[in-house]
Amino acid sequence: MRAWPTLRLALAGILAGAVATFPFVATAETPDAALAKLIEDARAEASAPDTCAKPELDRLVRVFCDNRIRPGVREYYPLFGTREGQTRSGYDVDVARALARHLSVEPVFVRVNAATRVPLLADDRIDVILATMGHNTQRDGQVRFIRPHYYQSETIIVGPRALPVKGWADIAGRTICVTIGNGSNAQIVSHNARLMLFDEAGVLPDQLREETCTLAAQDDSFFDYYFIEPDFANRFDKKFGFAQVPWGMAVARTASADRLARALDLMSQIFHRDGVFLGIARANRVGTGFLERQRAVWNRPECNTDAGSTNSACVLPALDAALQPTPFAGRVTAIEDWIEARTGVDFSLPMFKTMPAWSLFKDGIVNSLILVAGALAATLLFAMVLGGLQSSRRFLLRWPARAGTIVLQSSPVVLTLVIAAAVAQAIFPYSSAVAIGAAIVALGLMNGSNAGQAIAEAMHTLRTERGSVQGTGGIPTIDLFGRAVSRSATQIVSFLINAAKGTPIASFIGAPELLSALTDITSFASGRATTYTLLLVFYVAVVVVVVWLCGRFRSWLEHRQAAA
Amino acid sequence: MMGLHIPADFFRDLLAGMVVNFEIAAVALLIGLALGGLLALGRLGGGAVGAVATTLIGLMRAAPTFVVMFFLLNIIPRDATLFGIGVSPSPLMIVALSLVPYSASYVADNGAESLKQLRAGSPLGALQFLPNVTRAFFVLVMSSSAGAAIGVTEGIAVILREAVLLPALGDKLVLFAIGILFFGATLQAGFALMRLLQRHLGRLAMRDQAIP
Repeated sequence: MRAWPTLRLALAGILAGAVATFPFVATAETPDAALAKLIEDARAEASAPDTCAKPELDRLVRVFCDNRIRPGVREYYPLFGTREGQTRSGYDVDVARALARHLSVEPVFVRVNAATRVPLLADDRIDVILATMGHNTQRDGQVRFIRPHYYQSETIIVGPRALPVKGWADIAGRTICVTIGNGSNAQIVSHNARLMLFDEAGVLPDQLREETCTLAAQDDSFFDYYFIEPDFANRFDKKFGFAQVPWGMAVARTASADRLARALDLMSQIFHRDGVFLGIARANRVGTGFLERQRAVWNRPECNTDAGSTNSACVLPALDAALQPTPFAGRVTAIEDWIEARTGVDFSLPMFKTMPAWSLFKDGIVNSLILVAGALAATLLFAMVLGGLQSSRRFLLRWPARAGTIVLQSSPVVLTLVIAAAVAQAIFPYSSAVAIGAAIVALGLMNGSNAGQAIAEAMHTLRTERGSVQGTGGIPTIDLFGRAVSRSATQIVSFLINAAKGTPIASFIGAPELLSALTDITSFASGRATTYTLLLVFYVAVVVVVVWLCGRFRSWLEHRQAAA
Repeated sequence: MMGLHIPADFFRDLLAGMVVNFEIAAVALLIGLALGGLLALGRLGGGAVGAVATTLIGLMRAAPTFVVMFFLLNIIPRDATLFGIGVSPSPLMIVALSLVPYSASYVADNGAESLKQLRAGSPLGALQFLPNVTRAFFVLVMSSSAGAAIGVTEGIAVILREAVLLPALGDKLVLFAIGILFFGATLQAGFALMRLLQRHLGRLAMRDQAIP
């Protein structure tokens, strides 16, 4: 009898399990059957009297009412969406045609681009976006993405075949050409690369050919077209890829589009399973690696069901592209809105709104101030050393210093910085500190050599005035040198100011000062005009302070000379 | 270093790049002469105009060229038009414009000094403006290498794109030395021209003083 409660519990458990399993077994069907039923129901509704005239019509029913589907496609994206006259071609276009054929309706294409595709969908001027759109968490709030994804791209680094770049370790300190707003820019920046920004991806291949860019980063889907050209493929190759992002068709995020979304989900599943996407990709000569892997996934029994598109084991997650906001992002947005409302000026402060941007901005300011202080100190130090050497009576000390000064004066500032960086990187592994150190040494040498020459010339005039003999008139050499420094105060100050003004150029060798930081921020955020205006104000203010400090320094030196 | 191979067209490209440096400097100096001349006149005029001119000259002196270049590159829209005509400057023009604050403030400072000399009855003193402008021109040629940062194919950009393909530091240093030689020769030739001008003006001054 004691066993009876236990037996009852076991029976109840078995019964509950059977009940829970039964509906699944009963309703699980193939995606083909589910799609056929969905289409049949929608067609039946569309053929019912007065249905097609109803407002807020279900969008799948409307497709059958109008006997058309309106895909939004691109017209200038080689291999994916192009148009020559009335002829459209590309992977996206052919996928849209295949969808329309499966629904037995006509495709009516509408031109979209990256900026217009979501607004056109929201305005109900297109039924589905099929326009190289990456699926990320930010866009999930704007549109309803179709699962499974119909393609996947990644960002690739392209450069000359002879260039030995294999991974992130080879990227540090190099300049990479990118397009503004590319989601992968933040990742490139985090590996200590410098960015050269362009508005349009279309210019990147030409910039590579003209050797303006040594390396360029863009979607592999974009470069696929250029690698078809034998000349381009012979000169350049893919170095490595990163930041894979699945591409999704998308419909409006409204209840009336739910059935259309469901139909497209099922069609996407079937197209993967049956190799339809794969065949279209081959016909358009786009990469097929992702599609081959997906075909295997959607042929698996657990995925090849009508519930496959919601099975997390089968579908890919959206790319998490959201940047962590700062604690004060809300107040910054309020200030931006307040200024825009009163002035009409589109005022944007991206450096205060996300944590990565805020971190780059703070570090940029600190590094800029370190650079300015370092460049001033190095200029003064090299001025004293080179001034002393050039004033020496010893030939072996004087002439190498003079020759070095001539070489430094003959080298353009950018070249001197690059040489300093190349030597520093041959000694130390690349880091931000090494780049800042190399920039300080280069700026100090360039300006210090000129200031040192002025000191040496002042020393020469002092000696001439005092009879051309070292120490004549009871003045020790060190004291005479001090007077030469005082006499050349104007020149020294002018080269100190020059050194401070030259510090932003350190960004050219990857020193993460403010210009470099703001370039990185604007590569993944908006607000370029405000950002660079603030940058200009910052550096002018810094130089004005340096000018004031140098004025005080000059007065002290001149007062010292007058006293002597 | 033993394997250093410089392509045959490198020197042709380098010279073509240096021509771009000269173009940038010439444009920057021409605009600087016009703007700086006006500022110099304004400063000498005194009053409110003089104060405004002096403030502007001070701000232009303080503006770092490299920052001005990125500022212009990012605030001027690519499709900017004026009366229906596209006015968006090319990258070369942006580099030239970024050098204008320096050239205009330099011209204003030296122009004001020359005008003072002229008003004091010393035309030869005023003519010292010419060697000073020559010096500024060659400083601008050297500074125009900043254009390499925004993709302008000037002399230094040509050297850097070749250097990036060289793995050994020794080879790179040889290439950089060639760059210094080319730019250095240009700079020293410019300064020699300036000294020649100064000497010529000096002789003219001596001859004027000798005439009773």
